[in-house]
Amino acid sequence: MEAERRGRTDGLGSVIRRHRRWAPVVVLVLLCAIIAMVNPRFIDPFNLVRLLNAAAIPTVLVMGATFVILMGSIDLSVEGVLAVSAVLASAMVANNFTSADFGLWAVPAGILLGLAIGGVNGVAHVTLRIPSFMTTLGIGFVAVGVATAILQGDTVRISDKGFRALSLERILGIPAGVWIAVAAVLVALFIQERTRMGRWLYAIGGDEATARQAGVPIERTRVMAFAVAGAFSGLAGVMAAAQLGQGHALMGQGRLFVTITAVVVGGTALSGGVGSVLNSVVGVLIVVVLFNGMVLMGLPPFAQQGVQGLLIIAAVAMALDRSRLSFVK
Amino acid sequence: MPAKWKTELVRFIPLITLLGLVALVATIEPSFVRFSTLTVLVSDTMTLFLMASGATFVILMGGIDLSVQAVASMTSVVVAALLPELGVLAVPVAVAAGLIAGAAGGISHTLLRIPSFISTLAVSGVVTTAAFLFSNERSINISGETRDAHLAWMVGEFAGVQAEIWVGLILLLVLLFVQIWTPIGRFCRIIGAGEQAAIASGIRVDRIKVYAFMLSGATAGFAGVMMAARLGSGSPTLANEFLLPSIAAIIVGGTALTGGVGSVWRTFIGALIIAVVRIGMTFVGVSVFAQQIVFGLVLVLAVAVTIDRSKILIVK
Repeated sequence: MEAERRGRTDGLGSVIRRHRRWAPVVVLVLLCAIIAMVNPRFIDPFNLVRLLNAAAIPTVLVMGATFVILMGSIDLSVEGVLAVSAVLASAMVANNFTSADFGLWAVPAGILLGLAIGGVNGVAHVTLRIPSFMTTLGIGFVAVGVATAILQGDTVRISDKGFRALSLERILGIPAGVWIAVAAVLVALFIQERTRMGRWLYAIGGDEATARQAGVPIERTRVMAFAVAGAFSGLAGVMAAAQLGQGHALMGQGRLFVTITAVVVGGTALSGGVGSVLNSVVGVLIVVVLFNGMVLMGLPPFAQQGVQGLLIIAAVAMALDRSRLSFVK
Repeated sequence: MPAKWKTELVRFIPLITLLGLVALVATIEPSFVRFSTLTVLVSDTMTLFLMASGATFVILMGGIDLSVQAVASMTSVVVAALLPELGVLAVPVAVAAGLIAGAAGGISHTLLRIPSFISTLAVSGVVTTAAFLFSNERSINISGETRDAHLAWMVGEFAGVQAEIWVGLILLLVLLFVQIWTPIGRFCRIIGAGEQAAIASGIRVDRIKVYAFMLSGATAGFAGVMMAARLGSGSPTLANEFLLPSIAAIIVGGTALTGGVGSVWRTFIGALIIAVVRIGMTFVGVSVFAQQIVFGLVLVLAVAVTIDRSKILIVK
């Protein structure tokens, strides 16, 4: 009888363990349910569209951040790359700062600039053997500095309607920015699942020494991951410019910690090797829903940070799959 | 060069970098090396050092403490509010508040097994909200008389040198003692070098971790007190923009983010390196708009030079 009972609890334990990877989704659903019960306006179509719109840029940012974090590294240059790409894009379309009017060419230009800065991150990190934390922190400072130096504190105002449509135009009732984010997720998912680079990221994050023995080109993969992360940040910069209709050096402020929090809340381990871009999408939705819910419940702005902190601890505690982590740093 | 010399040399690279940078600025603008200029620079740097000093122990363990700026802001409010009533006793109260915030980060990290990156980030949100509540969303002024009566030992002058420098040096000595002679300091290093080995050899890893976060919270709290004393007010956002420079100070000093390698004296040197780069740019005449570019580049180069790679196998 004793043995039978233990057998049953073991069974329950293994069921939970097997479905542990769904924990972030459960957290998200619970969160939505609670907020909708307290304030039914949460499930109003207007609010849902607003939610998706708020999630679009963070979603693009976490795609790159997830790749870097899967390797056990970190990218702190997100805010700088976003700002400098936004400034470039806004200066390339019709605006009040330059006489340029290249229209939608600003989009690939912004992405390529991000890719290049990300590549610099990767090359400096790998060749100088500096921790990515410091490399990307330094390069992030440089990027914000370049944007500041070019604009001397000014703001570029965009007058190009076609460019702004990238964020504001509605397709099937949903803003175009959201569709761009969906496309970014599909691209990231393809890279993660269907390319060698994607698989190598897991190998490096899981155990770099073993991956090297197995012939994984560590340095090249690392540089590529940082470059791809930079490209996503660059795209996010273009989207931010289109959404706000302007470009300035502080566009990225506050984006960095939201990005990393979303990645971790989604269940990707900072130690590397465990996680997925889909986890990070769920992570972004958790963070955005949380924020939206607090606003709907009328929490004063200064209290939101505190509540967000407590709920993020709770969400990570519930969602993080620790079965493959022997210790937590 | 004998191998022993070489390892000794590597140990002192941060110091050599610092002296090299001072010399570089001095050749372009000789007035930089006046005694008065340098003491002002060092005393301005002490708040940054205070903030980074305790966090060095956390990084030595391979963790990270992102709550230092929120904690320092919060204690600046606490000390400014309590000073008229409690006098100098407001300082230990503020430091204790920092210690509790540190403990919260450490306990949520170890008990719930959340990465310290997230637990301390979350705690900073809570701490900031607490500071806003405590201060009624305003900054609190410290009157000149109250400051002179209770905080002169911290921002006055002693033996011809700013008191901040003495306070910073005393804290450096205390923390060096903790690091070298007490179990906490030595276990921090062991945990950082190999956590599984530390667990296997019977070290109470979780307890030591919480102690390290408490230490980090307490020194960040002390940094907040010094900031409030220097600026004559406390506010819930006083120490904003101090987080990344304080982590940069630790790493530029040569303490490895991966843990196991580093020291508090390195953080002291690292904070000075950052200050010399920042102030030196103004002396050399780098345009305000270009300073951040130079700062970022120097940061990367400084770490490339100062980091001791002999004990680090994989760079993440």
